[in-house]
Amino acid sequence: MLPFLTRRLIVAALVALAVSAVSFGLMFVAGDPAVVLAGQAGRAQDVEIIRQAYGLDRPMPLQFFSWIGKALTGDFGTSLYFNLPVGAIIAERLPVTLILGSAAFLLALLVSVPLGILASIRPGSALDRAALMLAVFGQAIPSFWLGLILIVVFGVWWSLVPISGTETWQGYILPVIVLSYYAMPALMRMTRAGMIDVLGADYIRTAQAKGLPRIRILLIHALRNAILPLVSLAAVQFGMMLSGSIVIESVFAINGMGRLAWESLLRSDLPVVQAIILILSLIYVTLTTIADLINAWLDPRLRSA
Amino acid sequence: MTMTRFGFASLAGAILAASVTVSAAPALAGKADDTLNVAFALEPEALDTYKIAGREGLILARHIYDGLLYKDLDTGEIKPALATSWRFVDPTTMEFDLREGVVFHNGAKFSADDVVYTLNTVLDPNYGTRFRIAVDWIEKVEKVSDLKVRIKMAKPFAGAIEMLADALPIYPAAYFKEGGSAGMAAKPVGTGPYRLVEMTPGIRYAFERFDGHYAGSPKGKPAIGKLVVRTIPELNTQFAELLAGKLDWTWRIPPDQASRLASRIQVVSGPIMRIAYVGFAVTGKGKDYPTKNVLVRRAINHAVNREAIVKAFAGGASQVLNAACNPKQFGCAQDVVRYDYAPEKAKALLTEAGFSGGLDIEMVFAAMPRPVAEAIAADLAKVGIRVTLNEQQYAAGVQKWRAGELPAFFTNWGSYGTGDVAFIISNFFGGGADDLVQDKEVIELVATADSAQDRALRQENYAKALKKIAEQAYWLPMYDFNINYGLSPALVFKPHPDEFARWWLASWK
Amino acid sequence: MTMLDLDGRLLQRRRLWRRINASVGIRLGGVLLALIFFIALFAPLLSPHDPIAQDLTRRLLPPFWHASADLAHPLGTDHLGRDYLARLLHGSQVSLGIGIGVTLLAGAIGTMLGLMAGYFGGRVDMLISFVITTRLSLPIVLVALAAVALGGASLRTLAIVLSLLLWDRFAVVVRSATQGLRNREFVQAAVSFGASHLRIMLCSLLPNLRNILIVVATLEVANVILLEAALSFLGLGARPPTPSWGLMIAEGREHILFDPWLIALPGAALCLLILAVNLLGDGVRDALDAKAS
Repeated sequence: MLPFLTRRLIVAALVALAVSAVSFGLMFVAGDPAVVLAGQAGRAQDVEIIRQAYGLDRPMPLQFFSWIGKALTGDFGTSLYFNLPVGAIIAERLPVTLILGSAAFLLALLVSVPLGILASIRPGSALDRAALMLAVFGQAIPSFWLGLILIVVFGVWWSLVPISGTETWQGYILPVIVLSYYAMPALMRMTRAGMIDVLGADYIRTAQAKGLPRIRILLIHALRNAILPLVSLAAVQFGMMLSGSIVIESVFAINGMGRLAWESLLRSDLPVVQAIILILSLIYVTLTTIADLINAWLDPRLRSA
Repeated sequence: MTMTRFGFASLAGAILAASVTVSAAPALAGKADDTLNVAFALEPEALDTYKIAGREGLILARHIYDGLLYKDLDTGEIKPALATSWRFVDPTTMEFDLREGVVFHNGAKFSADDVVYTLNTVLDPNYGTRFRIAVDWIEKVEKVSDLKVRIKMAKPFAGAIEMLADALPIYPAAYFKEGGSAGMAAKPVGTGPYRLVEMTPGIRYAFERFDGHYAGSPKGKPAIGKLVVRTIPELNTQFAELLAGKLDWTWRIPPDQASRLASRIQVVSGPIMRIAYVGFAVTGKGKDYPTKNVLVRRAINHAVNREAIVKAFAGGASQVLNAACNPKQFGCAQDVVRYDYAPEKAKALLTEAGFSGGLDIEMVFAAMPRPVAEAIAADLAKVGIRVTLNEQQYAAGVQKWRAGELPAFFTNWGSYGTGDVAFIISNFFGGGADDLVQDKEVIELVATADSAQDRALRQENYAKALKKIAEQAYWLPMYDFNINYGLSPALVFKPHPDEFARWWLASWK
Repeated sequence: MTMLDLDGRLLQRRRLWRRINASVGIRLGGVLLALIFFIALFAPLLSPHDPIAQDLTRRLLPPFWHASADLAHPLGTDHLGRDYLARLLHGSQVSLGIGIGVTLLAGAIGTMLGLMAGYFGGRVDMLISFVITTRLSLPIVLVALAAVALGGASLRTLAIVLSLLLWDRFAVVVRSATQGLRNREFVQAAVSFGASHLRIMLCSLLPNLRNILIVVATLEVANVILLEAALSFLGLGARPPTPSWGLMIAEGREHILFDPWLIALPGAALCLLILAVNLLGDGVRDALDAKAS
């Protein structure tokens, strides 16, 4: 287990470095931060002065290494837009995203995994078809539409929940529902497909022949083996939720990481974007590592790898 | 399956339609607790005025800080603010008598030191002031006595008084010295009518009326006690909040939605200085753009049905423009060549120019609604001008424009909210980086007008320049903007053409 | 004895179920998809109007079920006065092309990487995991912004960017599924017969990944179409007058509160396409399963 983790840590460090370097380069290709900072009324002279004032006139590799050097000591610099420490801005928004993402992820798992199992028991049954329809709707209804319908019905019409913002816990109800709804189809269909595969396997038939209770076969023998790809997918899915659905955050005026990343990207707020991407890559590495660990625990044969 | 889906769609449609027509009258939450609830779609920047480019941040800043002077937009009169009187000692030296008894939000007393330190700090290029044009006319500021300062100008500048009117706020020297720009951003302190009591940067800002705001302030004592400003990026969510009575003020509502909302809440429309235009590259670094040909530029002017576009998308009192400026601005002469909508004439001009088979052109648009750009492209296609339309962030677009890589750039210009034509044509036709026309005659006319103090002389030279610009069709001027404000029915609010909301003038009915 | 009987009956019933379903699914999904293909091919002939012809005097006309509808435009007009039915019909071309094309290309890349990572393990796995995680951490919008800045906005640029980016789910899922299969008897048997790595991956492993591949692919089709919409709306994809369902949804967004049909109609079209792909995918898989057993 220890060498496994060491290898993982090395990979994590390399990923973070590679992602940071690539995104740093891409930021400069996508738009000149100095021009963005100068704003619409900024003239060419203004741009030059800003370029110098913010040190954006130095060679790009130099800028990158000075950034990464500071980042290693935990100093993410100052937001070009807010003129505040990047760490403070992210600390403000990360908890919101963590709560939203985790709650939505749990809800999605609680609904989609049982639904996927039930659907797999009898492929083609009414239940299976209903689950399929749910998955199809989940993918085809734009999340901002669902969000607005819920806002109008529960917020404006019945005044049951706040329309926007997350000052109170009630503010999380609608966005969590919409965000989880968005993630359900993938998880559900993956569970179903995996279960159908496994239920046809010999050892399940053997188990059935041995007269083991059906529920035990489903949950212990089948699910355990069907779940390998699901765990990996879930890790990706959770990471995506954390990076936040920009659309959902816009609709509900939630100030999480997703929108921060998006807006910062559009206004070329280099330090903020870099910090977010770094955090994201670390989160992804952690998640995939956890997924691999869970898989190894579920299927001992993988441990030799 | 089709029916299920359509059934659901129309059900959802019905729910939405019903909700908009059936829901009860707004609860007027803001009036009840004397709090003006404001929503912006964009996040305000750090509240150090000198580093703000966006309108949202500037509006908040003007509630916190005061300048030496103040311009009453309703009368056009320059009023005393932190300075009680001022005079020109010589053509490049201004002297100000400062007001006595003014205090900052942190209790510090206002004096000449604050003016001297603030302005001298921000005009240092290392400070990174966002708009050099705002401060680069100042050479230095000197203290004469505790309540008297002199501003030495670096060059004669016609816009000096305009700039000093609320655009260059005065910070408390000691506090500013200690925290610098970052300190002002983290906890702004000014002399203005409201003080910031709570802030989550970019998300939520809470203000309270500053009871120590100096007597005799041109901004006056605000009628409304508290302001809460939030960022709600999705317009439809803003509408829902408005309809539910949880929002009292929002702006920039598209015309289509404004007409639908008008029966439910208070919608007010106000003209602003901003205008939309398409600029053509005439110099364009070595590339042979068709826009270098005056006949092609005239053809484009004839080909676009601006009347129809204005009616469909601009809304309110917007009108088609002929001169390259806003008619509300000083010096914006209107007796220039007019190009009517005449597709046949456009085709004839193109044939005359040697493009009988049509031509291809790239047009980048930035900070303009996509439908308007598409409408222009469709009109041009009708006369054989095939437009490749690319939307870009303003920054990226303007960068390409300055590099001479674009034949046509469709965007807008707000003239810093200033009612003087100098703030638009000097920038685009004065020979600077944004000037891709480089017409010697126009550059000279503009330079003469810019540096003159005599209004008649300025007016005359601007008029000549504008005539030449229209005659050569260097621009396709589109229309002037109106802003729609969505307001609580209980709110009294007057919009101003400079895109600055003045909530200190707002009140409850 | 009774137990075995029961088991046999259960299996038979399962197989029967599947065969019936497979044929229903294939037929329904196939017919739907064929219909959409047909529409895509003959859109110019089927459309009552030019999908890009604007008429600013006839903007935002409602569809036929509204009282104020104009029957010359049965599904109304959009914010530029373009006929909505014509745009919907033509939109099938873009959505089909991008959705299926990108999914196939991205699927090929992702499956290959996932297979190699899962099969070889060790250093190969580490390297590929590295690439996967790097890719996952890169925001798509940033890459698209940069690509457009370099190559200009067009459907082709978009298709390339999406193909090169969206293989992540394929790779992740295939990798862990392959890890699960690698130690199974039939793979070990192939190894002991001395089969080449490529042969084992393509002939022993790939067929067993069919189910999850179909699932991921059907999910990706929808994902790609919606991403195309989002990026096109930002000016990073389809050029403006091009009708595409995703773009139509994005354009209707501003009007969602007062004219929800602007989103409902392309949403319904998209839903049908996804449904067709899903049904067909499930049907084909079940049919193959039934045949195999």
